[in-house]
Amino acid sequence: MSHFATPMMEVPEMIAEVGGKTLDLCYQCGTCSGTCPWNLVRDFRVRDIITRAQLGLEGYEGEDLWMCATCNACVDRCPQGVEIVDLVRTIRMLIAETGAAPKTLRAVLGSVQSNGNPWSGEPSARMAWAGADPVPAFDGTPEYAYFTCCTQAYDPRNAKVIRAAAKVMDAGCVSYGFVGGGEWCCGDAVRKTGAQSSFQRLADHNINLMNGLGVKKMLVPSPHCLNTFRKEYPELGGKWEVTHLVELLRDLVRSGRLAMKTAVPVKAIYHDPCYLGRNNDIYDAPRDVLRGVPGLQLIEFARTRDEAVCCGGGGGRLWMETPVNERFAVLKLKEAVAKGADTVVTACPYCISMFEDAKTALGLDQMQIADVVEIVAQAL
Amino acid sequence: MEPRIGVFVCHCGTNIAGVVDVNRVVEAAAAWPDVVFSTEYKFMCSDPGQHLLNDAIIRHKLTRVVVAACSPRMHEPTFRKACAMAGLNPYLFEMANIREHCSWVHEDKLAATLKAIDIVRAAVAKARLLEPLQARMVPVTPKVLVVGGGVAGIQAALDIANAGTKVIMVERSQSIGGHMAQLDKTFPTLDCSACILTPKMVQVAQHPNIELMTYSDVENVDGYVGNFTVKIRQRARYVDESTCTSCGVCLEKCPKKVPSEFDEGMATRKAIYRSFPQAVPGRPVIDKESCTYFKNGKCKICEIFCEPKAIRWDDQDRVVEEKVGAIIVATGMGLIDPHGLGQWGYGRFPNVLTGLEFERLNNATGPTGGRITCKDGSEPKSVAILHCVGSRDRNHKEYCSRVCCMYSLKFAHLIKEKTHATVYNFYIDMRCFGKGYEEFYNRLLHEGVKFIRGKAAYVTDQAYGDEETGKLVVSAESTTLGQVLRVPVDMVILASAVAPQNDAEAVARLFGMGRSPDGFFMEKHPKLEPFATATDGVYLAGSCQSPKDIPDTVAHGAAAASTALSMISRGMVEVEAATAEVLKDFCSGCKVCQDVCPYSAISFHDDTHLAEVNASVCKGCGTCVATCPSSAITGHHFNDLQVLAQIDAAFAWE
Amino acid sequence: MSTPFEPRIVVLCCNWCTYAGADLAGTSRMKYAPNVRLVRVMCSGRVDPSFVLRAFQDGADGVLVAGCHPGDCHYINGNLKAMRRFPALEKMVAQFGIEPQRLRLEWISAAEGDVFVRVVNEMTAQVRALGALDWRRRAAVGPLPEHAG
Repeated sequence: MSHFATPMMEVPEMIAEVGGKTLDLCYQCGTCSGTCPWNLVRDFRVRDIITRAQLGLEGYEGEDLWMCATCNACVDRCPQGVEIVDLVRTIRMLIAETGAAPKTLRAVLGSVQSNGNPWSGEPSARMAWAGADPVPAFDGTPEYAYFTCCTQAYDPRNAKVIRAAAKVMDAGCVSYGFVGGGEWCCGDAVRKTGAQSSFQRLADHNINLMNGLGVKKMLVPSPHCLNTFRKEYPELGGKWEVTHLVELLRDLVRSGRLAMKTAVPVKAIYHDPCYLGRNNDIYDAPRDVLRGVPGLQLIEFARTRDEAVCCGGGGGRLWMETPVNERFAVLKLKEAVAKGADTVVTACPYCISMFEDAKTALGLDQMQIADVVEIVAQAL
Repeated sequence: MEPRIGVFVCHCGTNIAGVVDVNRVVEAAAAWPDVVFSTEYKFMCSDPGQHLLNDAIIRHKLTRVVVAACSPRMHEPTFRKACAMAGLNPYLFEMANIREHCSWVHEDKLAATLKAIDIVRAAVAKARLLEPLQARMVPVTPKVLVVGGGVAGIQAALDIANAGTKVIMVERSQSIGGHMAQLDKTFPTLDCSACILTPKMVQVAQHPNIELMTYSDVENVDGYVGNFTVKIRQRARYVDESTCTSCGVCLEKCPKKVPSEFDEGMATRKAIYRSFPQAVPGRPVIDKESCTYFKNGKCKICEIFCEPKAIRWDDQDRVVEEKVGAIIVATGMGLIDPHGLGQWGYGRFPNVLTGLEFERLNNATGPTGGRITCKDGSEPKSVAILHCVGSRDRNHKEYCSRVCCMYSLKFAHLIKEKTHATVYNFYIDMRCFGKGYEEFYNRLLHEGVKFIRGKAAYVTDQAYGDEETGKLVVSAESTTLGQVLRVPVDMVILASAVAPQNDAEAVARLFGMGRSPDGFFMEKHPKLEPFATATDGVYLAGSCQSPKDIPDTVAHGAAAASTALSMISRGMVEVEAATAEVLKDFCSGCKVCQDVCPYSAISFHDDTHLAEVNASVCKGCGTCVATCPSSAITGHHFNDLQVLAQIDAAFAWE
Repeated sequence: MSTPFEPRIVVLCCNWCTYAGADLAGTSRMKYAPNVRLVRVMCSGRVDPSFVLRAFQDGADGVLVAGCHPGDCHYINGNLKAMRRFPALEKMVAQFGIEPQRLRLEWISAAEGDVFVRVVNEMTAQVRALGALDWRRRAAVGPLPEHAG
């Protein structure tokens, strides 16, 4: 009789107990699956997970559970207000407790535990990107504390973005300092993969560190840090004013503190990072900055702003293997080429990594992948 | 003489008795001073329950009655009547609400029982001090104002007029007919909408008992049930109604084109216009905002060609005052703003239409003369109809719009009839609940319409693959299949949600109505009085109360009409007896009460230096009572002593 | 051990909006704290300041005055009269040494059963946290030092 399925009500009860309160609201319309970018490249129906979880049927805990890149497009559109991404996180949390998390993730979580970052980077090497040049350290006096994303600190490509950011901030006479070697990962991806206790440990550490340093205003280059600091840290005791770098750039350009004089003659297409756009409603700031760059022509993807397709790097996907033909960034890069763009601009370290990988995979040597701040640095 | 109070505690089946220990309440009440009789009964509102009350009043010589049951808003009139039958003044009755305010909102039986005892004690405390009042009867103005000339208002107006009562119908736009006039066919019978509606429109115009005011707005409403005074602004038409022969030459000659509201902006009308060819009245109006003459002082072409010389450039708005006994609000529904529906491509792709836009496209009097075409004039080879766009969606409207499933089926049928297109319906649930509706759904299945069980997630023109090139692509999960589909089509029709009219808030205030959380006007009782409002004498008809299809709208209009008629035909109406009264010995003549009275019901006598309440104008709000610095005004039935006694008895304080 | 403190809150509400809103909470079977007793008047404009003081004097730990939203008054604007009267009442109550959280004015419409429930639960929790008012005793000896009541 194995082809019959029997509901196990312990499952939805357990999910509700650990916070998945909106599970039962789903009325099976399929808007989430229809919205999900995975279906542009392969079959993945998050509604299936939700339905199975509602009834406690086998399958909700399968491999597909780890597909979700937490891009939030489905949550935005769900007519029933089901917190789909949060449910996925909650279910991952329950599964992770049983030790069933994917192997690659386990290695990442191990590094977070021992090094405070997901890149197996030595904690002592966190400021290595700066080389021999002296950079300002945050000691409580500057206005902003710059919180380096782990991906910027340890990934050589993204490290260039910090150097560009430093150059631009110096040019704009911004009062800032780097939090530096003591900082640990903000924990966004850790949390989204369900490793709640690891997240808690990271958050406690960072909150103690930054409160100890007397931080009032945070400046972050990563939308993931932004989202976590704005939405998760406050109730844990980390209450700072958190600004994303592009918001600061827009203010600097608007107020005239930053003059962009050098032409950057590129045809740029802007990719909305999910955690900057859909999760924090920052759509105009990066575009305003780019429009102010002399010589730069800005074009848009077919689906843009709140409709934008994810790069595929959120929710722990950055560390998981995805076949080339199933990568959203590859799909988007092809669209960018078709539209005649020579530069993909974005404002997120994960997006930079995903697009750089896609560029390599497609052999698009001429295509430039850039953070908004790198373009601004060129324009000074 | 000490009052003799009787307390009757209702079980309301298990509604009360399931939570509140009714016997304990009865026992508690029996011990209070002046309570000479105390009992319980399963259903106090039932016939035997009322008999019990009647018998007890007589047998125990009760002079005050307290019924502990449901909300006074539910059954106070019932029990007042029962008291009157037993010869007791109905204002010597007090109700204790131990259902809505107690048994239904608490789970802890002990806490609920103790609270019920408190509630009954407070009611007894007030009852002890109640005074007999005489209800006053005033004559009713035998005339009804119907606001809105859609099919609901038309039905209501005709029913009332045919019964011999005068009706004033006020319609905002140039013609009556409402949304129904915009439709081509009606579901599920496929009746031609205009064919069944226009005869009724003409009847309205020709009925000796109906005064039709189109292009007009109700500006102010005063008075009370049976005796309202309304101010109606008749906007300047600039066309003399008695001279104009409706020949229509001016409509041809006028050089100024503006988007037609009636055609949902898909076609144009002239600055001098009638909404549609069968408009009632047929005489056009000049839209001052668009008219070239009013803008530049030059043109007057309409005047030149008008043979009967009916153009009046000096026409003015007229404000008329009318007295009516009842008001029927039939202001209809609006539609959700489609510009918030970008996810489904509205406003971005020209071949994405709202439901009402498709109605006009398909209509013989519409922009294409009834040909179903894409914007480039070609016939669509495939059409997607997306259900629940903006309905059943917390991001937009939480309610079901009730008409979309059926009009989507109708659209599918019409597209099948007129074109060779493949038609896809993307739906969550098919809601075909009316007479002949499920049968119509079945018919559509026979006609080969494709049904995909899944809500359309988005519409894009971004093609992946040749079959999608140049098409609109609908992405949706077939939830029955467990597969995400991308369906390339030429045209997308959004079954977009019905919404309250944009000015619903102002209209609600104008007529003293409330609104439910969905924004539609609030009925007095959702089950038993869906056509009445909290304001006596103001009734609701049609989709201004909630989304409705045509049969329901017509039925609702008829219901409102019969309710208004039954009040009007009584000839007299009972008005508030619980009014305010000035106690002359205490009045210091400060006139503060005059300032606070919302109804100007207080006059001041210069000779005696005393204020006086005009009881026939007073509505008993009690604001003057609370304001009077000398406590010289008493509010009958809610006087200071009564309210304070109730507060004193609200809890068992010690 | 004495029984735990249960606040006693008197609600002075209008017939058309708040009383009906409480009815709706009932018909919708919403659940709320059983600590309130409603006293119905036809309009919040009828709420005489003496009613509020009397409730405190009787032993109420909190008083809620509630009526229709501004603009929605069944009697055109009686609720606005209540609103204008309220600051003076608040001041008076403060002078009597009664914490401001014990007196509240709210607009709750006939459609807002959920709002009624929220307000009642919130106020019950707040007053519970403040503890018993026991105003008659306080009034007899004058205002007590903080936390002494």
